[in-house]
Amino acid sequence: MSSNLYQEFYKLYHRKVAWIAPFMMIFFMIIMGIAMGKSSERLLVMTAYNSSQWISLVLIIVGSTFFSMEFQNNAILTLLYKASSKWHVYLSKFIVIFIYDVILHLIAIIFTIILSLTPLNNPASWSNIYQYQKPLALNMIMNTGVDMITSLLIISLIFLLSCIINSNSAVITINILIIFMGPFVTTNLFWSKSNAMNILKWNPLNMTNLTQQYYNYSSYHPVTLLSNMQLLTGTILYMLLFTAFGYLIFRRKRF
Amino acid sequence: MLELSNVNTFIGRRKIINNVSFTVKDGSVVGLIGPNGAGKTTIMKTILGLTKFTGVITLNGKEITENNHSPLTKVGALIEHPAIYPFLTGLENLKLYSSNKIDMMNIVEQLKMNAYIDLKAKGYSLGMKQKLGIAIALLNKPRLVILDEPMNGLDIEATILVRKIIKQYSSSGTSFLISSHILGELEKVMTAVVLISDGRVITNCSIEEFEKINNQQYQLYTENMPKTLQSLNDYNINFSQSSNHIVVSRGALSSIQKILYQNNILLLELKLQQPSFEDLVVTSLKNHRGSQDEK
Repeated sequence: MSSNLYQEFYKLYHRKVAWIAPFMMIFFMIIMGIAMGKSSERLLVMTAYNSSQWISLVLIIVGSTFFSMEFQNNAILTLLYKASSKWHVYLSKFIVIFIYDVILHLIAIIFTIILSLTPLNNPASWSNIYQYQKPLALNMIMNTGVDMITSLLIISLIFLLSCIINSNSAVITINILIIFMGPFVTTNLFWSKSNAMNILKWNPLNMTNLTQQYYNYSSYHPVTLLSNMQLLTGTILYMLLFTAFGYLIFRRKRF
Repeated sequence: MLELSNVNTFIGRRKIINNVSFTVKDGSVVGLIGPNGAGKTTIMKTILGLTKFTGVITLNGKEITENNHSPLTKVGALIEHPAIYPFLTGLENLKLYSSNKIDMMNIVEQLKMNAYIDLKAKGYSLGMKQKLGIAIALLNKPRLVILDEPMNGLDIEATILVRKIIKQYSSSGTSFLISSHILGELEKVMTAVVLISDGRVITNCSIEEFEKINNQQYQLYTENMPKTLQSLNDYNINFSQSSNHIVVSRGALSSIQKILYQNNILLLELKLQQPSFEDLVVTSLKNHRGSQDEK
């Protein structure tokens, strides 16, 4: 397992996209600061300058290729026979992308602190009570924690699809469509006032709204029709389900 | 020592490998030979625990299963295509799997890859990639190396180099299981043959035995060839004609000598035919197909 983790870190470390992506994220955080810094400075701090959207995009771009690069470079056979079991290969990839996700969130927090000190936005007091009767600093940390759980759902979905589809570009496109367009499809279904709404609200794409609902409950609750706790529970359950399905498909896949 | 005992490999519900058993002894170079689709690569993948199978595969007494690859820590392999990440340099590709830097640099040196080992692998030619794939298989002083078509894309110098390296490793106890369609090249290194057809082993023996078993054709030339042909036909002796002589089997030699004596035909030449290794393999496969058709 340790050699699998080493190999995955080594590959990620040597991929340009893994280094370019955080700079893209910071660039978009600055854009958000310019756009909303004078009107919604506290929301910007809580959401780490809306970094969750960019982190999701980065995870899709980097994570989608975690399996497809093995298939396309004929490296999967070497990777598998050198590993003790297929589970170690799957788990090590999952752990490495999650650690990358944590690093992205840490970078987002650090740059939130830096950006909040610049004239880009109005000064926001970190100790002032903002949402959920908690100080702004805690709001940001809690929101980051919630977003990491949402990220786990996204990673599990990316891995599931990556094990079904071998092509890099196809996996990236489909993941972007599902994760960014999926919630809109869900919303449209709700607006159709379907009788099956009580069931449809539990669909996995609705769970990707968890982070947005956490920092903007009043706007998102009418869309998701679920409480924060229900979304959190659904997110964790779907994450476990997708991870299990992804692994089963990977295990049964012919190489 | 690698041992396969009654191994059956399935893809879906289809049985691809049928009751295969053979052994690869320490220091031996076993040639896995067969026509396209015979199951060579599937056998190799099965040994590496990459397919669903029944039967028993052990390496140095430890059982390999689809979910237990721990006996494979001292196994190197190149299956189908070299496993190379284009965004890494050749050396970084090696570092990914290497646990011994000195050994890694020795392999780079031996395979004469120094000139391009620090360049990104995306710019490598087919031959350079193949060498890198072989280098990955040879990392960490393996006890068993499995090579599927190792000479693919290699020029003549590289082919000779790889052959020398295989001999060097095998003399120090590393065993090899190699499949190749370039039989002439394989013949130069292998010590044993496993011939497979339709997922079954049809021959499993040392190279000397293989040549002995299949090398039983004799060329015969007499002072009166038309009379000889007539006499052999009369006694229903099987033979084939080749330019100015006839070819007969070793088993028929004593009968032929009696016939020639009875018909007062003087034997001028009788010599063992020396077919190439390719001819022996082709004959062996033809004989197998013939016996299958009869069934």
